[in-house]
Amino acid sequence: MDPLIFLVGYITPYIAFFTLIFGLIYRVARWLSIPVPFRFPVAPAPITYTGVLKRMSLEFFAFRSLLKGNKKLWIGGYVFHVALAITLVSHIINVYFHDLWSIIGYGWYEAVLYSGIFFLAALAFLFVRRIVLPNVRYISKVSDYIILILLISIVFLGVYMRSFGLVDMASVSSYMYSLLTFNPIPPPENLWFLTHFVLAQALFIYIPFSKVSHLIGWILSTTRNMRNITRWRRHVNPWDYPVEVITWDEYYHKFKDELEAIGPGGERR
Amino acid sequence: MKIDRSLPARKYKLYATWKRDMETMKLPFPREWSHTNFNLPPNWKEIALKKMDEVVNKFRSVKLFLDICVKCGACTDKCPFFLGTLDPNNMPVARQDLFRSVYKRYFTLTGKIFRGFVGAEELTEETVELWYTYFYQCSQCRRCSVFCPYGIDTAEIMIAAREVLTAIGLSPRSLTEAIAKCETIGNHMGIPPAALLSAIQFAEEEIKEETGIDIKVPINKKGAEILYVPPSADFFGGPHWGTLKGALKMFHQIGLDYTISTYASEGGNFGTWLGYEHMKKINRKLVEEAKRLGVKWILGGECGHMWRVIHAFMDTMNGPLDFLEEPVSPITGTKFEHAASTKMVHICEFTADLIKHQKLKLNPDANNQYIVTYHDSCNPARVMGLIEEPRYILKNVCRNYVELDPNVNREKTICCCAGGGLLADETIELRLKAVRPKIEAIKRAGANFLACICAIDKAAFTEYFEHYKLPITVGGVHELVGNALVFD
Repeated sequence: MDPLIFLVGYITPYIAFFTLIFGLIYRVARWLSIPVPFRFPVAPAPITYTGVLKRMSLEFFAFRSLLKGNKKLWIGGYVFHVALAITLVSHIINVYFHDLWSIIGYGWYEAVLYSGIFFLAALAFLFVRRIVLPNVRYISKVSDYIILILLISIVFLGVYMRSFGLVDMASVSSYMYSLLTFNPIPPPENLWFLTHFVLAQALFIYIPFSKVSHLIGWILSTTRNMRNITRWRRHVNPWDYPVEVITWDEYYHKFKDELEAIGPGGERR
Repeated sequence: MKIDRSLPARKYKLYATWKRDMETMKLPFPREWSHTNFNLPPNWKEIALKKMDEVVNKFRSVKLFLDICVKCGACTDKCPFFLGTLDPNNMPVARQDLFRSVYKRYFTLTGKIFRGFVGAEELTEETVELWYTYFYQCSQCRRCSVFCPYGIDTAEIMIAAREVLTAIGLSPRSLTEAIAKCETIGNHMGIPPAALLSAIQFAEEEIKEETGIDIKVPINKKGAEILYVPPSADFFGGPHWGTLKGALKMFHQIGLDYTISTYASEGGNFGTWLGYEHMKKINRKLVEEAKRLGVKWILGGECGHMWRVIHAFMDTMNGPLDFLEEPVSPITGTKFEHAASTKMVHICEFTADLIKHQKLKLNPDANNQYIVTYHDSCNPARVMGLIEEPRYILKNVCRNYVELDPNVNREKTICCCAGGGLLADETIELRLKAVRPKIEAIKRAGANFLACICAIDKAAFTEYFEHYKLPITVGGVHELVGNALVFD
């Protein structure tokens, strides 16, 4: 076997997979290790846990805040994320539960291909937008373009090889299954598939180190996931420290004459 | 959205803190410096990075927000300071990026390796200049956060970033002058006890002339049931004056057992915008005074950032407030359960409850000369969620009430653009530009009275209307309540 194919077929898939899993675990653990000194949600915020669940669900399923602010971007972002979800689910079905298609219906299996086209269209929109709009171009770094190019390449290869039957799905599925059960068989020596696969591995490695970690991070967003109950229930700041203030006695001393003019002991009843 | 790459807002810088105030407040590196010559301490970079490491490990939100922003651009056209100037650094994400890029360079693996590729930048004196400029062009109003898919809040990043600036000896006079006065004299305006007494007496005389009733306002009265803490601007006059009188008249009508304090005569808290320590210090005095006077609970006046501190931070910083009692309205018997722990009630909550129980004698016709609209201040709206109560009061005390354009109203409000330390003469040009969409909305609504519940709003909008030559009166919700009160 070609050493390169050995590498990307047997070694790097595991590196990528574990980097993704442990990288994300590390990321979340690191965020969780930092205290939340204040209860400071952005109002109007719910006061019950059910309310928070509703707020967060709307964010997750409807991208509600984005919808409020930018309808065009909402469409692009929403189509992208839904297509991504469909793609991930169908990949899992293909590899793990292949028989499921006979229950769901092979019509859906074909339909997934069209979601790939929407996927590409949405990514292209996001990419063009990043270049064309001066405000978004100003805030974009090289990495913001690269991640889109990476995604576009992966999705394009996937859609392309499947549409034109350039790859044998059954052998890819069995190979992937063998990887996931830690009993790898030789990868299909198909350039389309291998490129698609290697790029996907690169994406996996990239995720925990980058802004893509928002996929979990959004849940921890304190402006959204906290209840607006600060005056009702005390929130404790673990790093709080005492401060010195001018006391009444010092103050009284400083303004004794003026205060006595108000009344005895500064009191006016 | 168009941007102006020449950075037109870079010229707006707040003036430097006086050396004497830095000494009074025990700020680091008291020295002579100016907004054009920072005169930074020799090891400033080391201090800044150390402080930065500290703040990102103190506030989960800050680290999270620095990490997960995807640069989608949803916030870019939401900041009034960007809309007014088209300066790209005033886009919330770009403002954060000034901080984020340095964070990436020194505290993330990818930034250390890939540098500019992932937007990581060295910390230089120029960076510090941009920080001081643009971090003090954020009023911390949180409008951007409303539209962010992850709720990323520029205000929280600015709170952390300003801690870093303070640590290397950079803070604006517009904040520190007021803080120093508050910590030594008792309030931001620097009103000593004698002047406060005269202000109160003057208010009493005016109320006597207008309504014929005699009132006597208790000051520093031990054993009163309620401590009333307004922002000190209310004692000072101007557009705030009617609010003070309105509240005092209302307290008289319902026979409230209350007191105001000279020691804790400031509800406002400019420390909020500088850092944790001074925010806590200023707020602490309220707590100490409530304890000394032996009141049952505290009633807070019309002030925006004051309520940010009270609603979100007070109990955490200076609690538990066990020596106080759970607030109950002595007039209606309503328990303010939502304030069970902090034991502070907003005057709008208090008044709305009075109106609901028909405990006020009101004649809304007294405000018939006004077409009233309500300006949602950023803090009551986006920190407290206090949106309905003021409207409920207004609809009961005046007949002509109009709402503003929903795009700049309620939780989407465009603020007065003078919070966050920006209420200074040197920023007036910037603020006039930024507040433009709000002014236009007020004009479109056809109002001639702008009611607000924030002292800074009142000061700022009065200035703006003068500049734009608009015949619109600015006043508090309780000014209109005061007008509508009937005494027989």
